[in-house]
Amino acid sequence: MRAAIGKEVTNTLRDMELEARMRMQYEVEQFLYNEAALLDDRKFQDWIDLLTDDIHYWMPIRRTMNANQLNEEFTKPGDMAYFDDDKEVLKYRIARLDTGYAWAEQPPSRTRHLITNVRITNFEEKEIDVESNFHLYRSRLDTEEDSWFGKRCDRLRRVGSDLKIARRHIYLDQTVLLSTNLSSLF
Amino acid sequence: MNQATKASARDAGPASSYVDTENGLVDRTIFSDEAIYHRELERIFARAWNFMCHESQVKEAGDFFLTRIGEDQVIVTRDKKGAVNVLLNSCRHRGNTLCRAEQGKARSFMCPYHGWNYGLDGKLVGVPGYEEFYRGGLDRDEWGLGHAAQVDSYKGFIFATMDPDAPGLLEYLGETGRVGLDIAAKDENIEVLPGIQKNRIGCNWKLAVDNLFDWYHPTISHASSDRSDFFPLQDTLYQMNQMVMLGDYGHAIAGPFVKPEGEDAASDVENTYGTQPIMPHPNIFPNLWIALNGTQLSLRLPRGPFETEIWWFTLVQKDLPAEERRKTQLFATHFFGPGGLLEQDDGENWAHSTRATKGIANRRYPLHYAMGKGKDKVVDSPLGHKRVETVVNEHGQLWTYKAWAEWMDADSWDELKQNHTPAPTGRI
Ligand code: FES
Ligand SMILES: [Fe+2]
Repeated sequence: MRAAIGKEVTNTLRDMELEARMRMQYEVEQFLYNEAALLDDRKFQDWIDLLTDDIHYWMPIRRTMNANQLNEEFTKPGDMAYFDDDKEVLKYRIARLDTGYAWAEQPPSRTRHLITNVRITNFEEKEIDVESNFHLYRSRLDTEEDSWFGKRCDRLRRVGSDLKIARRHIYLDQTVLLSTNLSSLF
Repeated sequence: MNQATKASARDAGPASSYVDTENGLVDRTIFSDEAIYHRELERIFARAWNFMCHESQVKEAGDFFLTRIGEDQVIVTRDKKGAVNVLLNSCRHRGNTLCRAEQGKARSFMCPYHGWNYGLDGKLVGVPGYEEFYRGGLDRDEWGLGHAAQVDSYKGFIFATMDPDAPGLLEYLGETGRVGLDIAAKDENIEVLPGIQKNRIGCNWKLAVDNLFDWYHPTISHASSDRSDFFPLQDTLYQMNQMVMLGDYGHAIAGPFVKPEGEDAASDVENTYGTQPIMPHPNIFPNLWIALNGTQLSLRLPRGPFETEIWWFTLVQKDLPAEERRKTQLFATHFFGPGGLLEQDDGENWAHSTRATKGIANRRYPLHYAMGKGKDKVVDSPLGHKRVETVVNEHGQLWTYKAWAEWMDADSWDELKQNHTPAPTGRI
């Protein structure tokens, strides 16, 4: 059974001219790369500005399940999650860092977001659905290391001439997180 | 006491020699010594009643949930007769792991190696080549799965012990353990929300456990939460007005009384604590923290002296309106767990406390658990429970280590029953 993530490319998209698709692909990729650079450069306020006011930032819990129960691999909306944030909570996450007392990030970690396999899966007037794979590497203090791999399903929304993130659903590959915490943003 | 020479002069010895209850000092060796860790597995985890899961997680016949008792992985199952079984997840033939999914539904557990097949109650029900290869040389009845010596539940919370001599669960919990669980059990009409958060912290399990009694750390460890206004700790909790309950076998509860501004965050515990709102943190010895006023359970599973797996279970009332249910779930997600705005900052502290216990020189300096020692006395609560009413203190932590040493030095449950320190009265 198919997990409830990931989508096939829709017809609207298939009917588009190759050049228009390439232009959109380029714009979306550049957007995601710039966004990743903001996170890695610790420009968190600028990052917050890339989010729509109604953003849903969500990382469900993944479970090791037998093949016949793979539809239960991820927790569903409303179940427990690692992140289940609106913009207000994300702002608290950032505000925390500015207090100087957010010990999980004091001294701040060094992160590197590698964003790959960018696929536009749907496109409507103002919204673009994008799937991408990520490797988020965190190096912390002297020897701490974390490597989070997974997939993000984003909904980008055109606001004026800009793109903004209206939805980010993050699907990690680990079931038991081999990390002290999740103090990084994905 | 000459702190600098104490630990270095001794290589081993009874556990009680590592916990100086007179002076409130704990030798750092107990957080990193391999031999002590193995003794803990044997004398604490294989002996105690360990929390398994909530009954709502194994509701129907065939439901299973994987967890651990010490380093032994166990499958909690509901069998066709409706009984709950706690089975060692290891085939009796070559020891292979039977069940690899962390939860789910099964009719039986077939070993992926040679196909021995076990029922939900652990009985060996199928053996490939039983006639042709074994030719009468294998008695299936003798080769069922290893299992817990006793399984029982208290108000829906399932516990198991590997020790047949352990007292019954009710006796084990005693008043403090029961009062601790009661805030989570509420009216017993509760269930676990799908999704157990699991993560690993590079700390000794005891340092995670002792933190749950620690109402000294929030204003510093969680200052970012306070100062960013996410959760105004200072406006919510009294530091100068705290409660501690100490129970037999190491169970304990510690928590602040809650200011009128923070009553939303307080426990609905008129029935268990009296009338003044409180935020109690019980620990069911050894490793079950009842958190967030009974909305969450945090289980601290040892994975070696330097590694602990933290599991978060979230409880909701079954008949809660969807909106309230959502509120509970979001609060738990934002507060605790590896991504929680408060919990994020805890793990590294425990990991670094653990790290320092490996140092030879550091081991010469015991840790200080003496806050409030000798300054308080046990009184009766409005409901007649024995408790201490005081300021921020370390009674819960020191009590835990005192009990730890008693568990470690007892050769059997009989000895532990006889020799453990009963819940204190009078001055502590
Ligand atoms: S190890 Fe399980 S059948 Fe052989
Ligand atoms: Fe904490």
